[in-house]
Amino acid sequence: MPELEHIVIIGGGGVGGALAHDLALRGFRVTLVEKGELLSGTSGRHHGLLHSGARYVLHDPDAARECRQESQILRRIAPQAVEPNGGLFVALDDRDLSFREAFLDRCRSAGIPAEPIPVSQALAMEPALNPALRAAVKVPDAVMDAWRLPMHFFATAQAHGAAIRNFTEVTALRVTGRTVAGVGVMDHRTKTTATIAADLVVNAAGPWAGRIGAMAGIRLPIQPGPGVMVAVQGRLTQRVINRLQPAGEGDIIVPQRGLSILGTTAWLADDPDTVTVPPGHVPRLFDLCRALVPAVGDRKPHAVWSASRPLLQSGGAADPYRMSRSFDCFDHGRRDGVEGLVTVIGGKATTMRAMAEKTADLICQKTGRKLPGRTRDTVLLPYRCFWRSISAAG
Amino acid sequence: MTTRAVEFSIFRYKPGHIDPPRFESFRIEAEEGMTVLEALERIRLTLDGSLIYRHSCHHSSCGTCACLVNGVERLACTTRVLELGTDTVRLEPLRGFERAGDLAVRMEVFFRDIEPGWSYLKPSESFAHVQADSGTELLRFEACIECGCCVSACPATRSHPDFMGPAALAATHNEISKNTPAADDLLRTAGNERGERWCERALACSRVCPTGVHPARHIADLRRELKTPLA
Repeated sequence: MPELEHIVIIGGGGVGGALAHDLALRGFRVTLVEKGELLSGTSGRHHGLLHSGARYVLHDPDAARECRQESQILRRIAPQAVEPNGGLFVALDDRDLSFREAFLDRCRSAGIPAEPIPVSQALAMEPALNPALRAAVKVPDAVMDAWRLPMHFFATAQAHGAAIRNFTEVTALRVTGRTVAGVGVMDHRTKTTATIAADLVVNAAGPWAGRIGAMAGIRLPIQPGPGVMVAVQGRLTQRVINRLQPAGEGDIIVPQRGLSILGTTAWLADDPDTVTVPPGHVPRLFDLCRALVPAVGDRKPHAVWSASRPLLQSGGAADPYRMSRSFDCFDHGRRDGVEGLVTVIGGKATTMRAMAEKTADLICQKTGRKLPGRTRDTVLLPYRCFWRSISAAG
Repeated sequence: MTTRAVEFSIFRYKPGHIDPPRFESFRIEAEEGMTVLEALERIRLTLDGSLIYRHSCHHSSCGTCACLVNGVERLACTTRVLELGTDTVRLEPLRGFERAGDLAVRMEVFFRDIEPGWSYLKPSESFAHVQADSGTELLRFEACIECGCCVSACPATRSHPDFMGPAALAATHNEISKNTPAADDLLRTAGNERGERWCERALACSRVCPTGVHPARHIADLRRELKTPLA
């Protein structure tokens, strides 16, 4: 079989990893470049929720359905990277209760199993819950290891021949006429520059995607939406605890190993390199999450950090909680008259595989290859294979 | 808010470029609560974009950001700069690993004796009165975040590079405890010529472990089990 096109992926986040895997599985030659360590931007820093989709049913039904499908697939293809313990939505006051019927209806229509359970049962399952809770609904939420789950994709991609180059920053797009024909890179390990020729370049730089687009004179509808999370010592609950209300600030507690993660806040920024936490966010998270699980109030912050969501701008929405968590890919040949470049933006960690699949479908369409995606049913190699030079060839 | 000027003396190494390695100093204003990882991010974003280090989760869950902070193995993400109490903070890569550049190391040697297929899940803490749903067991990730601190701190690993090392022995013991069919073979491996016999009982592994795995305890347990004749 003749060798297929060489695809260069910019960005070693969850989507870049899943895309490298998808394309390598379809037979393309793949090189992925990432300016820092893999998963050091947004993907590695989320709270770890593997969404059942329930969190979005009230305002973003498309994202809810995507999450439901993808969480089932990820559990199947990377079972060792998921704490599969489920989640609860709890109502604490009249306002929360007023959402209950709509929440159950919408879960039903999105295909998300949501089971109302008696308050006494919720407290038996999770004794740390606020004893004054008024209602509880069980959903199939889970917790993923934000580093190890996507590392499964990188390990499998590498085993299928993809070149994964971390600490390699794209400094320019190489443009011939109106076609992107490669990338100029700086390898920060050796401080050497190089050009990597490509038949097609994919911009999967997450909240940094705008900077890559700008290198080709393209403006992308991307808005960095940073948020703050806090980890406290102690596994206060076994399951994910959500507040039964439209997604907002401080309404979720995610257990992870021996920690509990309090999430989140959100605002809109122009610069994805957010390294400071705005004053007031940490006390607010403690106050809001203490209402769900009172023991939170006795804990000190073990870690406080922020990460930039790669939000897709649509219309004039300026509320970071109401901007869709759905994703899109752009063929810049059709959109901007710049061939050889595709961008994927938006989405969530839970939907990384689907984002990659849709992007790979677009790449097949652009290269005229009829190669079906197979990542849905391909069990991934364990993440540790990444450091064991295992080849899946032959 | 309290801030203090802190000097970071950082190990720099770029094969063929900054070679041999040297230390370089960077001065930043550290705020209360600022972590070593946040300091590295600020240095990279404002002073030297070529500085490389590993990081991902920023809350001690991924295990990528371990390095030597003032000579001791720690996670950069949960080490607060001002709590170190020194005017200069010295940062170096972990010992005993192949260096990738600056503070980044290659993890191949860490995973050499940890089988990729060993389960990363274990039964979660059970509260006596808590019922799991419909008979399924509650699970959680292993406490070991595979950061490499224990391997870097282990004196036996330094004098005997072939030694499996504390992380692999602890992982082996975990796997044996799961009663896998391979348990007897795994115990024999732990007792082989690269196994627990090299442990000097220095306990450095347990002292530096950021997640309370206590590798030294696992090694002591393996020793005890090795003294019991295998079936």
